[in-house]
Amino acid sequence: MNRRALIGAIASSALLSAAVSRGAKQAKIRPPGALPKGAFERACIGCFRCAEVCPTSCIRFGSVFSAEQTLPSLDLDERACILCMECTQVCPTGALREIPKDRHRIASEVRMGTPRLNKTTCLPWSNRGVCRLCFHVCPYPEQAITLVGPQKAPHFYAESCVGCGLCQEACPDDVKAIIIEPMES
Amino acid sequence: MMDGTNLPRAPLVGAPTSLRVFFIELTDPLEALAVLGARGPSWHWFLAVLPGLLLVALLGRFFCGWVCPYLPLLAMTLSIRWVFARLGKPLPDLQIDRSVGKWLAVSLTVASVISGAMLVPMVYPPALIGREVFRVVFYGAVSAGVLSLAAIVLFDTFVSRAGFCRSVCPGGATFSVIGSLSPLRITRDVAKCTDCTVCDVVCNLGQKPMTDKVDGGCERCGKCIASCPTKALSWSLSTPSALRRKESKP
Repeated sequence: MNRRALIGAIASSALLSAAVSRGAKQAKIRPPGALPKGAFERACIGCFRCAEVCPTSCIRFGSVFSAEQTLPSLDLDERACILCMECTQVCPTGALREIPKDRHRIASEVRMGTPRLNKTTCLPWSNRGVCRLCFHVCPYPEQAITLVGPQKAPHFYAESCVGCGLCQEACPDDVKAIIIEPMES
Repeated sequence: MMDGTNLPRAPLVGAPTSLRVFFIELTDPLEALAVLGARGPSWHWFLAVLPGLLLVALLGRFFCGWVCPYLPLLAMTLSIRWVFARLGKPLPDLQIDRSVGKWLAVSLTVASVISGAMLVPMVYPPALIGREVFRVVFYGAVSAGVLSLAAIVLFDTFVSRAGFCRSVCPGGATFSVIGSLSPLRITRDVAKCTDCTVCDVVCNLGQKPMTDKVDGGCERCGKCIASCPTKALSWSLSTPSALRRKESKP
């Protein structure tokens, strides 16, 4: 009886691993302070405390039967992160490292993604208008983003960008020139 | 926010498997174990696990009997089984060896470390229920997790009475092992006992109080004590079952 139990347990664990790992290959944007890819998935127990304390409810959990069901991620098309760092204060396992609410610490430690600008759809870059919304909502103007040229078009500095996505949320829906992409592992 | 202003610190944050009450962290030992395998020990981990571990070592498998959010669902399965019994068509009660849960706890943890994905929260009812309730309250939606829960409920209704709790749940098995250190026991006054077997029958987890065979698998729910017609059973503080001889196990 014990041997059958052992074999059954091993078999079901292997099956569950295989089922869960499929379809989880698309890179996701994790909450601030997240451990690097690989380490984060091993440390997060899916307790959803980060999502619970998030004041903008921008932290979401996957809904399809895969590893993403128990992992938090941000959909910056929906809501951006306002960098309140509450999520980092409640993570019980350290999957989100605690980051103090200090703008300099946040600037140096938070890297949720990198900015990718589409200059053909961006209004000033394509000479179709004046905007500057991304610059004005950015929590680190003159560090992560500057306005260049007579048309005051945005220029992003990926190395200083925390990846909060406020620029993405602000960019008009029919333009969506700036997108924050997940960090490459 | 970034200028240091703090949101009010909530006194209660979290889920059935990870709760912070003021500053005390109550983390599920099984899930904490999987994290340990992945990240190694640290003071942070230790402080998060210790309060819960101490509670279980003191009170036994009390989470299963008093806290687990699966309890209302279990009550529902027992009610349905009672209806079928009253209609003269009792449902089967497959007896599954209790080592299944223990082996699952080990193999799921090992498989999680190997595959890099957390498997326990995907099949562990308190984690599943907590996440789905959260989803409904915050986003007004459910997910694939309810299907896993439905499977467990169907199993407990039509295949084995409280079978998942008793023999399969890896979290329950972990609590049983740790809980066998608890001095909180059920004792039987032999003079008052009439061997009526009611206590053995009402126990959901297959413990045998009538013959004094109660081990770490006891969830300290007190049903046996409440059901004894001669009040022969009672709570006591005595030697933990882990430190007793092998013959006393059910």
